[in-house]
Amino acid sequence: MADSWLNADLDAPYAGPSFVDRASSEVAEETPFQQLIRHWMNERHSPDILTGQEILLGRILDHVRKQSDDVQLLRADPDSSEEEHFRIMLVQTEVERVKFVVRSYIRTRLHKIEKYARWISATPESHEKLSKAELDHARRYARLLEYHLTQSVLQSLPPEQRSLTDSVPFMPPMIPEPDKMRPVFVHARQQCPPVRLPDGTAIAMEKGRISLTPYYVVEQLLARGEVELI
Amino acid sequence: MSSTTQQYGDLATQLLTESRRSTATDTLLKYNDVLVRAVIREQRQLEALLQAGLAAAPDTDDDPGAPPNPALSTVLLYQTAINRNKRCLLAYHAHRIERLKDLYWRVGGALPLLLSMAAPAAQTAGQAHDSAHAPQPAAAAPAPADVRSKLSPHEVDFLRSYNASLLALRTDAFSSATAADPGAPSEDVDLMAPIDRPPRGLTVHVRVVRDCGVVHTEQGAIDFRRGHRFLVRRGDVEHLIVQGYLEEA
Repeated sequence: MADSWLNADLDAPYAGPSFVDRASSEVAEETPFQQLIRHWMNERHSPDILTGQEILLGRILDHVRKQSDDVQLLRADPDSSEEEHFRIMLVQTEVERVKFVVRSYIRTRLHKIEKYARWISATPESHEKLSKAELDHARRYARLLEYHLTQSVLQSLPPEQRSLTDSVPFMPPMIPEPDKMRPVFVHARQQCPPVRLPDGTAIAMEKGRISLTPYYVVEQLLARGEVELI
Repeated sequence: MSSTTQQYGDLATQLLTESRRSTATDTLLKYNDVLVRAVIREQRQLEALLQAGLAAAPDTDDDPGAPPNPALSTVLLYQTAINRNKRCLLAYHAHRIERLKDLYWRVGGALPLLLSMAAPAAQTAGQAHDSAHAPQPAAAAPAPADVRSKLSPHEVDFLRSYNASLLALRTDAFSSATAADPGAPSEDVDLMAPIDRPPRGLTVHVRVVRDCGVVHTEQGAIDFRRGHRFLVRRGDVEHLIVQGYLEEA
């Protein structure tokens, strides 16, 4: 019995085709972990915060939990053979690797959330991309930062200078927001509808094509999963 | 103007230089209270001058034909200096916050450890989780010695609140509700673990650089004594490596 599930699990969700294969494989064939890898890379390369993949994350974590439990069970079983032990080790290693990606994904989001915390608090449109816990953290962090700056600097300044939302001509705004002009490398995962470039021309990326464009150009394609950032 | 050898903004430039130095050498410099206060004093002085200048300038907005008021350029100068100083002040503090957060993550979110780092030679061999009184070995991390004394009181407060906020985030989002005992952290994924490099394998050879008492691992309880070497599961001791008790051998 141990054999069957170990085999199945090793093949199915984690040990997927390599990166090269992945590029040519169909979109529908992506395993949850491959999806996570894709979202993780997108998140790391995108200047803006992308929509959080809570459901996917939950599914993967459930799976990780189940596998860890099973591993514990099997390890406790004195009858398991040498070969099974080797497989257990493989599964454990894979679990650790999955956890690494999950961790890195969450931390990447967290970093951006903190960086743009004040912008997020002030921009309701950005809220739907965050989970509730992330949004709460963003709000808390924005408050915290403002409180700290007030305590350390602003309260000692004359009242006219205490605002944290000055907009002075020729100076960057005081609330940092994502720079959607930042260039990104995109890889088309399928045939894409045409997008308009900054100079007014339109390009339609065929499958497999890689381009360097400002982020805002491919923002919608990315949200629909038609391209990925690399 | 009033001062002879200094221009407005010189002090603020010094603040920025400190920030740059801190980044370039990857160290946390001591909070420069004196300089910050000096800049703030300059701000008050400038504001007074500005108000005086504004009061002296008659309002000529209604009359587009009038010659430009000579006082306006003075006012503009003060205003520019004020804006710049304020920006430098805020940048200095924001930069420090970023550095502090870096340090915080680098020790795996062990705030007590961070604050008490390099406390004078306390040889506490308590539980591994009770890392509050253990000094950070100087060689283990680039984290500078004696962090606490370099912080302003507000920065300590900030770190505490930040820690609390992250804790709330973790309990909200990433803890499994199935945990039997509420006391133990039951995270599926340890957010605080390092993300520099993906794990190579399950186990890791470690050298103990500082006593950390008996730790329960998958292979049973191990008494980590200084100088000993062990082959252990990475997941069991990851936090000890991050916090500098163990070194990968």
